[in-house]
Amino acid sequence: MTTPMALFFLALLAAVSPGRPAYEQANKLFAAGQFAEARKALDESLQLDPDLVPALTLRAKMEMADNHFEQAGRTLERALKLDPKAEYAHFLYGLNAFLANDMGQALPRFRQARELNPQNPRTALYLGLTVESLGRDDEAMLLYRDALRLERAKNAVDADTLLPGGRLLLLQGKLDESERWIREAVAVSPKFRDAHFDLARVLLKQGDAQAAAHEGEAALQLQGATITDAQIHYLLIRAWNQAGDAGRSEQHADVLRTLETPKGM
Amino acid sequence: MRPDINWDLLYRLAIVSILSAALFVAAAGSALAPPPIRFAEVAAKSGLNFTLKNAAAGQFHQIELTGGGVAVLDYNNDGCADIFFTNGAAIPSLRKTSPEFSNRLFRNNCDGTFTDVTTQAGVAGTGYSMGAAVGDFDNDGFPDLFVAGVHGNTLYRNLGNGRFEDVTAKLHSAGPADAWSVSAGWLDYDNDGWLDLFVSNYVVWDAATEPRCGSEERQFYCHPRAYTGQHGQLFHNNHDGTFTDVSERSGIAKHIGKGMGVAFADIDGDGFTDIFVANDSVRGFLFHNLGDGTFREIGLEAGVALREDGYAVAGMGADLRDYDNDGKPDLVVSGIINDSFLLFHNPAKGLQFDDTAQRTGLLLGTRQFTGWSLGMYDFDNDGYKDIFFGLSHLAELDQYLGRSSELPNHVFRNIEGKKFEDVSATAGPDFQRAAMHRGVAFADFDNDGRVDAVVSVLNGPAKLFLNRTDTKSHWLAVKLRGVHANRQGLGAKVHVHLADGRDLYNHSTTAVGYASSSEPLVRFGLGPSAIQWLELSWPGGATQRVDHPAADRILEIKEVSAK
Repeated sequence: MTTPMALFFLALLAAVSPGRPAYEQANKLFAAGQFAEARKALDESLQLDPDLVPALTLRAKMEMADNHFEQAGRTLERALKLDPKAEYAHFLYGLNAFLANDMGQALPRFRQARELNPQNPRTALYLGLTVESLGRDDEAMLLYRDALRLERAKNAVDADTLLPGGRLLLLQGKLDESERWIREAVAVSPKFRDAHFDLARVLLKQGDAQAAAHEGEAALQLQGATITDAQIHYLLIRAWNQAGDAGRSEQHADVLRTLETPKGM
Repeated sequence: MRPDINWDLLYRLAIVSILSAALFVAAAGSALAPPPIRFAEVAAKSGLNFTLKNAAAGQFHQIELTGGGVAVLDYNNDGCADIFFTNGAAIPSLRKTSPEFSNRLFRNNCDGTFTDVTTQAGVAGTGYSMGAAVGDFDNDGFPDLFVAGVHGNTLYRNLGNGRFEDVTAKLHSAGPADAWSVSAGWLDYDNDGWLDLFVSNYVVWDAATEPRCGSEERQFYCHPRAYTGQHGQLFHNNHDGTFTDVSERSGIAKHIGKGMGVAFADIDGDGFTDIFVANDSVRGFLFHNLGDGTFREIGLEAGVALREDGYAVAGMGADLRDYDNDGKPDLVVSGIINDSFLLFHNPAKGLQFDDTAQRTGLLLGTRQFTGWSLGMYDFDNDGYKDIFFGLSHLAELDQYLGRSSELPNHVFRNIEGKKFEDVSATAGPDFQRAAMHRGVAFADFDNDGRVDAVVSVLNGPAKLFLNRTDTKSHWLAVKLRGVHANRQGLGAKVHVHLADGRDLYNHSTTAVGYASSSEPLVRFGLGPSAIQWLELSWPGGATQRVDHPAADRILEIKEVSAK
């Protein structure tokens, strides 16, 4: 029987890369944190099909994880030459530039990724971070709002998406809206240090030093992504002082003096 | 009995009243609308021909990034502010192997032109120079000059005959021997009537062992964290032309930073001058002068050590000035792109400063800038000090930003001590020109009562911005002559009470911005008002009052009080 449907499946079978199964395996292993095994599977995949774009993209991701940004850039360029519409490769290409502080290059790459898939909240978020770095705060805020909208649509709101928006609103002096964003981040990830720290910052700006101090003390007990102990101690020095507890303020100053100065965010 | 109301008349009166109110608002608005702060750049036509050379040759040596200090000094006491520029040297020798690396002194001819007098003055220098600080350390009435540099500083004594003598050996520095000094400033920290010297040191640097950063394909300057920081130094004036290094004894040496700009003021009104050091990517230091020859570092407690979120900005320039006329000096600090510049308000009580960068508009307004030197001066003489920032990104950053590293300078107008508004766009066409600006020093070079600025440019011609603000506002410059206090009166505080009831405050310091040194005169913009009285507090606490001094002039005040 040679129906049109059968012909379609035959064509599809022919199009499946011989490196695909090994790539799928590598991807799973990488996600599971088994990096050595993932590398081995990825090598096998690319040996079977050196032009397999998803495998090349995964290769670049591994290279970025190893801080080999130039090599990753070259791998992604090869992937994008093979498939100029590979959205994830465009995103990673942008991220590669972003992580190297090369905002001039990151911008068009993220834009391209977003054009190919406007529904990806991560792309909107990183494009927002890039334009904010370049001084376009209003555009950044629109992108943060869009990233959040997309995540809400998927019922998968992430504190990492809420915090950049909350921080920018704080810088803009929109304290109430900033507080709403950050409180939602705290609600989404109650054990996330960064969210509690930012909430303490906004509370201190609003003049509620007591609440800021308590929020800061809570942050100090939690794990975070970027916020250091030193940053929290610095906030607590000011919060406790403003709350009228000079003793606790001094304690945090003493601890901070023994720590390294924050390296930044 | 009901009065007979003339509704027509009431209606007309109401209309007239509304119109009058509108006219009044319009008139008041136009009277209050300040003239735009404007500058004209005149360096080339005034003969101020200087190019700062950093000897960059693709090797990304950290020392290439800094430097560019500018100092203002009236070295010949003719009443016209002269200009000294620091310059680089060959790398790695750190020698001034050709005249293009010479430091340069330009005499102000008091006619709008300058003459290069470097050779006659003997201040061409030898090493890789960074910053400069002016102060009359021997109280002879002629301003002396300290030049900070990489692995070598120079102290020049002004002989009063147009020449300077190298008296570096008399500093008796206890090290560090490999100090990379960026900025310095003169202050009388113990109020003994003689100027002492504070030197801000950056990091340990050696061309031979310098780390390489970036990638093999694209090298870039290393982050400061790749280098070990150094402590600052304090030199006590022994009153005989020599100094004693009191860095350890005073407590200064305990604090390892990555020092850039320094600023001095009596932050708590206790009569002793305090020190702020802007550190690059580590927390800033506020050295509280305890009055017994020692200092306590209180940057963390005072809330000026870090940005509001605890992030250590790349601190560059600093100035301690009262921006809201409440009588207490506030603090402004410049940083690198995406740091935002810092602004801290000195509180009425206690010593915990309030971070006002966001509230005043300076935070978002400066987020895209990289600032070097700066100064808080009243450029439109309206009674509120504005801020001038010398700007440019790090060299070679353009490839990462996707736009030029060169930036135009920016000036922010102070709106009644509450907001800072970026008014650069209306500051004239010369002001819009981007360049690799570095050091900035402030003085009234043409003695017209408006504060001007001289700016060094990395590998480009220096700029002289004459203030051309079309203002009718009055001004006063106070020139001090200490007798018991140090001769220049550095550290003196001046309080001006205006006839319209306003109070203005300022103090005398030459340590302003980054690597630079400005005029010692204490300046005031008065707006439309006359001065009712002026009160002066000399270092040491003696006070003097002048009633109804005339405005629009330089008022010389000699210390008369007994010690």
